Amino acid sequence: MISYMDICGKRDRVEDMEIYTGADVVNEQLARYGVKFGIYKNNEFKEQLFPFDMIPRVIDNKEFAYLEKGLKQRVKALNLFIADIYGEKKIIKDKIVPEEFIYAGSGYLPQCEGIVPSKGVYSHISGIDLVQSKDGTWYILEDNLRIPSGASYPMIVRGIERRSAPSLFTGKHIEDNRNYADMLRHTMDYVNCGGHTVILTPGRYNAAYFEHSYLAEKTGAHLVSGHELIVENDHLYFIDYSGRKERVGAVYRRISDEYLDPMSFNEESVIGIPHIFDIYRKGNVALINAPGNGVADDKGIYYFVPKMIKYYLGEEPILNNAPTYLPYYDEDMKYVLDNFDNLVLKDVAEAGGYGVVFGNKMSKEEKEKFIAMLKAEPRRFIAQEVIDFIDIDIMEKGQLLPRKADLRAFVLMAEEPMVWKSGLTRFSRNPDSFIVNSSQGGGFKDTWVLSQ
Amino acid sequence: MGIISVENTDRLYWLGRYTERVYSTIKVFADKFDSMIDMDELEYDKFCKSQDIPNIYKSKEDFCQRYCFSLKDENSIFSNLMRAYDNAIVLREEIGSESLSYIQLALYAMNQAAISSAPLIGLQKVTDNIAAFWGMADDDIDESQIRNIIRVGKLIERIDLYARLREDPRKLQREARRLTNRIDKSEIRYSLKKLAHVNYLVQLDEMPYETLIEAIERLVGDES
Repeated sequence: MISYMDICGKRDRVEDMEIYTGADVVNEQLARYGVKFGIYKNNEFKEQLFPFDMIPRVIDNKEFAYLEKGLKQRVKALNLFIADIYGEKKIIKDKIVPEEFIYAGSGYLPQCEGIVPSKGVYSHISGIDLVQSKDGTWYILEDNLRIPSGASYPMIVRGIERRSAPSLFTGKHIEDNRNYADMLRHTMDYVNCGGHTVILTPGRYNAAYFEHSYLAEKTGAHLVSGHELIVENDHLYFIDYSGRKERVGAVYRRISDEYLDPMSFNEESVIGIPHIFDIYRKGNVALINAPGNGVADDKGIYYFVPKMIKYYLGEEPILNNAPTYLPYYDEDMKYVLDNFDNLVLKDVAEAGGYGVVFGNKMSKEEKEKFIAMLKAEPRRFIAQEVIDFIDIDIMEKGQLLPRKADLRAFVLMAEEPMVWKSGLTRFSRNPDSFIVNSSQGGGFKDTWVLSQ
Repeated sequence: MGIISVENTDRLYWLGRYTERVYSTIKVFADKFDSMIDMDELEYDKFCKSQDIPNIYKSKEDFCQRYCFSLKDENSIFSNLMRAYDNAIVLREEIGSESLSYIQLALYAMNQAAISSAPLIGLQKVTDNIAAFWGMADDDIDESQIRNIIRVGKLIERIDLYARLREDPRKLQREARRLTNRIDKSEIRYSLKKLAHVNYLVQLDEMPYETLIEAIERLVGDES
């Protein structure tokens, strides 16, 4: 484990640290460029600046090489799993994953049965959430294979930091992370079925709209809304201002499966494109990420990922899952009930830090109520050991304060998986909290991967 | 990539119009403000009439505050700046982050001006940022069509505003000339007949301001 202090030197006073003077300038610049996310509170949309802390997470090159290897292995296995589930289903037949975990989960889409997407890639962009425990071990907390967001923030902040505090980067051998747009463009072009590449946004009032528009600008893809696209003669077209139709071959869609096509999924969707799913099935357009990926990133399926790695790749998993229990199995249910206070329980249907409860933080009544629910719906929950993951200092009012922080690594899949040499480090602003999500007040840091 | 949707064409046009509206009304407001300090306290009433907006203001202080800074007043400068922002924020890919940042900065400057003891100085920063936005857009945007649509929006708004303020006909003739030179390059839908009519009106000895306002407002979006 290496920290910012190790490479930039420890100072007695915060004011003497190199990052101190740069922090205000960087935050001012982030405001200037509108680095925001949207949030709904009391049914009202508000844009908020994403709080940024100048002290980076630092990962040395050996440690990152290990992470890179493990992440590639995991994403390869997850892609093979999705292909198998919508194809031969060998992993079910061989009883590695019980079928109820597939078919009862909301991520499984029967409409995707038998579909092989362009170049066989399902999860083009995977956001893998990790934490590092105090003994240095990395644990995977969650796989996000639907529409993982967050890469744009460290990408834009790096350029700003380098302008605001150039000395911070001199002689430190930090990998340049501003290549994310190139990696993404390559990923999109690789599967493009012929025509333009577009980024499909639900619109300005989506929480991640900044990211949609910024990635469009930086990749040179065209940012579009559903009503600007039309399916005709089995192909997808963008209609320009003069009524001319331009063929589209790849859609990096930032809207969820259910809203993608009212003819195949939620018929009330007004942001989707009628019949896009039909031409996707015929191989005439690439959808990035593939619909139906939710079958592999369900919190219940997470438990089985190490088994998938062994099953599909014949390898031992390089990266660990957090120790996880499935109350669905009697043995695990017993363990969960015996050790309730030491565990964190997660509702498999929830995301964004919601539906997460800590056994030791419940009152007696809450606990009784929860256990009754757990017994009634054991498939709905997973339980995990609470990992006391490392704190990273943040700078607040001239003081250094330790806060919990996770890492979202981005793995892009084209010919081979590519791991972005950076990531989104999110931290909790609340000293007593493990929840780092931006929707719950968390902030972000840059992630420095050292090249030597 | 060189393709623009109808919706974004419209947004670019309105971005041009609203940025011009904010820029010009701040300039006009600054003149009126000066006059209201110690010459004509009711100057704002004439201003409202010229702009065809209801005089809902109780005093010059109320006018200065609400007309500039109230988002509840749909005619306020701030409301118009928000409309410019609402159009700009969905055009990042067309105009680029650098150009967009000046609209964002104008918004911050407006918030600061609202709490400043010298609002005119604060508003100057708003116009500075809008001018910087136009400069950056001209310099930084590759697609000439995008630059031209913004410019057409600006020129139409300017002619409209000048006519409402009963400005010198020579100023109107100049802006009409600029618009005529620019509008085809924008590839925006407009009526040739109505453009000819605008050019005819600005040449008349007795400038028919009301007719001109009507003609310029109907120019775009109609190809008849």
